[in-house]
Amino acid sequence: MPLYTTDALILRTYQLGEADRIVVFLTRDKGKKRGVANGARRLRSRFVGGLEPLTVVRLAYYERESRDLVRLNYADPVQSPMRMRNGVSLGYVEYFAELLDECSPDADPNATLFRLGAAVVDALAAEVPVERLARYFEYWVLRLQGVYPPLLLCQRCGQKSKGGGRLDPGNGGFSCLACADKRGVLLSAEALRFLRDAAGVPPEGLSRIGLSIGAGLQLESAHQQLITSHLEKELKASKILRAMSRES
Amino acid sequence: MSEIEPLVRLTEELTKLPSIGNKSAQRLAFYILKQPRESVEQLCDAIRNVKDRISYCSVCSNITDRDPCFYCTDDSRDPRLMCVVEDPHNVEGIEKTKDFRGVYHVLMGALSPLKGVGPDDLNVRSLLERVGAGEIAEVILATNPNVEGEATAIYLAKLLKPLGVRVSRIAMGVPVGSDLEYADEVTMLKAIEGRHEV
Repeated sequence: MPLYTTDALILRTYQLGEADRIVVFLTRDKGKKRGVANGARRLRSRFVGGLEPLTVVRLAYYERESRDLVRLNYADPVQSPMRMRNGVSLGYVEYFAELLDECSPDADPNATLFRLGAAVVDALAAEVPVERLARYFEYWVLRLQGVYPPLLLCQRCGQKSKGGGRLDPGNGGFSCLACADKRGVLLSAEALRFLRDAAGVPPEGLSRIGLSIGAGLQLESAHQQLITSHLEKELKASKILRAMSRES
Repeated sequence: MSEIEPLVRLTEELTKLPSIGNKSAQRLAFYILKQPRESVEQLCDAIRNVKDRISYCSVCSNITDRDPCFYCTDDSRDPRLMCVVEDPHNVEGIEKTKDFRGVYHVLMGALSPLKGVGPDDLNVRSLLERVGAGEIAEVILATNPNVEGEATAIYLAKLLKPLGVRVSRIAMGVPVGSDLEYADEVTMLKAIEGRHEV
């Protein structure tokens, strides 16, 4: 039974029996894995603090060829969302983890997705505005999945869009304002400019890129439509985030 | 044993209990079989009583055999101090300290976007009503020290502070009797953040 050591991002955990947990984690080099962390729910467990969602860990696990579940040996936290001093962003942690979980198939290595996830955890710890970070993260996850339509050229007239346009995931993609009908989500010039600027910087650079509330809402709505259309379901976490922001 | 239907049924029922596997269930079933009838009836009565007599307190949502519960009706407790916990068994944990003399409010869970648990699934509205009534001076948020518990505490703090009460959070840090050498970075960070003057 070989022991593997790797960097990983914890995506979620499930209770198993009295004291154990099943852990879903995204490794840097072997894709998404599921494993058992024995005794993880005990107060003085060696896993304590290392199995929270979106924690970047140095992790070791044993794997048998015939078994779906690996056995975790240790998970030392390298970066944790619990380090955040701005607690409002904590609500987004599970949303990011769910999006990563849904977009990473089991045992399909995707180092870029891992690096994106780890960079987002660093950005959370650096207190980058979380709404901007969420739009950035959605944009990149969807791009890495190959489902983000090109936003520079109108899919109908082929011309460069200067003043914004409409994104309609069910109807081919992005159209400029002149060509678009009333369907789809309106994306203002400011929303497009944010995506263009944000695409060229690491997540920690988002603090320097402005995004008004209105343009942020447009992007959120467009991304939610793209995610729902791609995954054929709405993420649980996005519904809860909406409920939380409505009540607070 | 497969032919003895009552024993098989009892074993199956016991297997449904947490951390009881088939072997343990069989052992328990045989133990129950060997017990005198009165002992078995006492056990059955105790199990039935739990379902018949225990309900949730209409004030704090803790489990109780009378409504309002013991903590809500005890005159020696300070009604101005409230501790908010996730689950009824957390109340027992805090009571063990024998130091907290306030009242409780049980949320019945924590916000968990991953599990689809939102504010409407928790006892948040009743908490706001209790605090809004004006008697509470301080609310201690004693949700679990994990991402879900922290997110819940911060969400509640945002709702409670405008009501004019002091809102505090339980401290996080290294367990008593442990060794700093083995504490992880996040726990140490939280311990240092929550330090106090001696």
